[in-house]
Amino acid sequence: MDKENEFEKRVSRRKFFNIAGWTGLFAFFGSSGAAGARFFYPKVLYEPASTFNAGKPEEYTAPAGNEKAVVDERWKKSQRVWMVRTKEGIYAMVAICTHLGCTPNWFPTEVRFKCPCHGSNYNTDGEVVAGPAPEPLYRAKIELAPDGSMIVTTGLLGIRRANLQTQKKTLGVFWTEEEKGVIWKPPYFLQLKA
Amino acid sequence: MSTNLNNNNEVSFVPPFLKKIFEYIKSTPVWKSIFRVGYPDTMPKRMAVMRSSFYMHIFPTKVGVHGMKIKYGWCMGGITFFLFLLLTITGILLMFYYVPEEHRAYNDMKDLRYVVPFGVILRNMHRWGAHGMVFTVILHMIRVFYTGSYKPPRQFNWTVGVLLLLITLMLSFTGYLLPWDQLGFWAVTVGTNMASATPLLGYEGPFSKYLGIQIDNDIRFALIGGTRIGPNALVRAYVWHCVGLPLIATALMIFHFWRIRKDGFSGPM
Repeated sequence: MDKENEFEKRVSRRKFFNIAGWTGLFAFFGSSGAAGARFFYPKVLYEPASTFNAGKPEEYTAPAGNEKAVVDERWKKSQRVWMVRTKEGIYAMVAICTHLGCTPNWFPTEVRFKCPCHGSNYNTDGEVVAGPAPEPLYRAKIELAPDGSMIVTTGLLGIRRANLQTQKKTLGVFWTEEEKGVIWKPPYFLQLKA
Repeated sequence: MSTNLNNNNEVSFVPPFLKKIFEYIKSTPVWKSIFRVGYPDTMPKRMAVMRSSFYMHIFPTKVGVHGMKIKYGWCMGGITFFLFLLLTITGILLMFYYVPEEHRAYNDMKDLRYVVPFGVILRNMHRWGAHGMVFTVILHMIRVFYTGSYKPPRQFNWTVGVLLLLITLMLSFTGYLLPWDQLGFWAVTVGTNMASATPLLGYEGPFSKYLGIQIDNDIRFALIGGTRIGPNALVRAYVWHCVGLPLIATALMIFHFWRIRKDGFSGPM
C-alpha cells in the first residue's frame, strides 16, 4: 500500500467534502443569524437629549414653615424630572417609576408621589413607602453652568441606583447609609443657602 | 322553467341548452386541467378529489361521526382560524390609511373612526376580532386539554399550538401600541420593561451584569429600538404586527393543520 492510499483512508474525498459542506452551511447560517440579530440594535438614536438647562436655583421656591420640601413640576412633561427644593438645597428626581417605568404623579396634600399603573408610593426623598417598586426613584445629576444655571443630566446610564451600589446585590426600598453618602452630595445634590 | 328527467330518472331543473353548454365547458382542456376528477360520486373519486385539489387536500376523505359532533370541540380552532383570516383582511385595509409615525398614528386612528368610509366598522372588527381570537384560542387550548387531545401521537402538535398561542398574544401586544394612545403607550412601556428583567438578556435581569448587558444593548433595546418608547418602538411594533408575526403564524398554522389532517380528529373520551 503506497502513501497516497493511506491518506485516502484517513481523510477520504467524501469525508472531506462532507465536513467542508456542513461547516460552510453552519458558518453561513450562523453568521447570517448573528448579523440578523445585530441589525436590531441601532447604532444611532434620535432620542431627546439627556441634559437640559433647568434655570437658576433662585427660580425655585424654598420650603416655608414646617414644609420639608417643595416639589417643582415645571420640567415633568418635557424632561420627566422633578426639581425638589429643600431647606438645604435642590435635587432632581427622575419621574420614572422604578417598578415598570410609568410616570408617577405628585400629590402635595399627601406629600407623596403615586404611580397610576400599579400603585407604588414614594416620599419626597424618592424612597418607596407603598406598592411594588423595588428601589427608590432615580436621581439626576445637577451641575452648575458658568452663568449659574443648573445643567441636569437624566441619561439613564448615569443615574441607576445599581451604579451607586456598584457590586452590592441587595436592593432596598429605602436609601442605605452608604447610598445616602452619595445622593446628598454633588453631583446629585446642589447645596444652597437657606 | 322546464323540468325534465335525465338518464337516471332524476328530476333536473337545468334547461337542455344550458346543459349542453355545461357539457361543452366541462369537455374543454382548460376545465379538465383545473378540475381533474369530476363529480365525486364514488369512493375512489372522493379520494382522488381530496388528493388532487389544492383547496380540498386540507380535508380528510372520511371523517368519523365523533369528529362531526359540534359539542366535542365547539369548533374553537376553526373559529380562531376564521378570526385570523378576518383580522388579516381588515388589517390590510386599515394599513391603507394608518401610518406608524409618531405625529400621525393617533390622528390616523381617529380618522379611521370618524372620517374614513366604513373605517369605524373595519377598526372595530379588527379590535373585537383580536379580542375574540385570544378568547377562542384559549378556549381551544382548554378543550384540547380536557379531551386529552394532547396525548400521543399528538404531543408535537400541542407544542406547535402553544407557539401559536404565544404568537397570538404577541400579535395582541404589538397591536396594542399602534393607536399610540395613553393606554397602549403605558401598557407597552410596562410590558417591555418586564423584558428588561429577563435573565442574562435584560439589563435589570439576573446575571446580566456579568455579560456586560446595559440599557443600550439588552433585549428591550432590540425590541423597541431605543432606550424609551418612541418612534422606533412604534415602527417596530407595526412591522412585527403586520408582517413578521403573521408570517410566522401562517407557517405554524400550515404545519398545525397538516398535522391534524395526518393524525385525524381525536375521538370522544
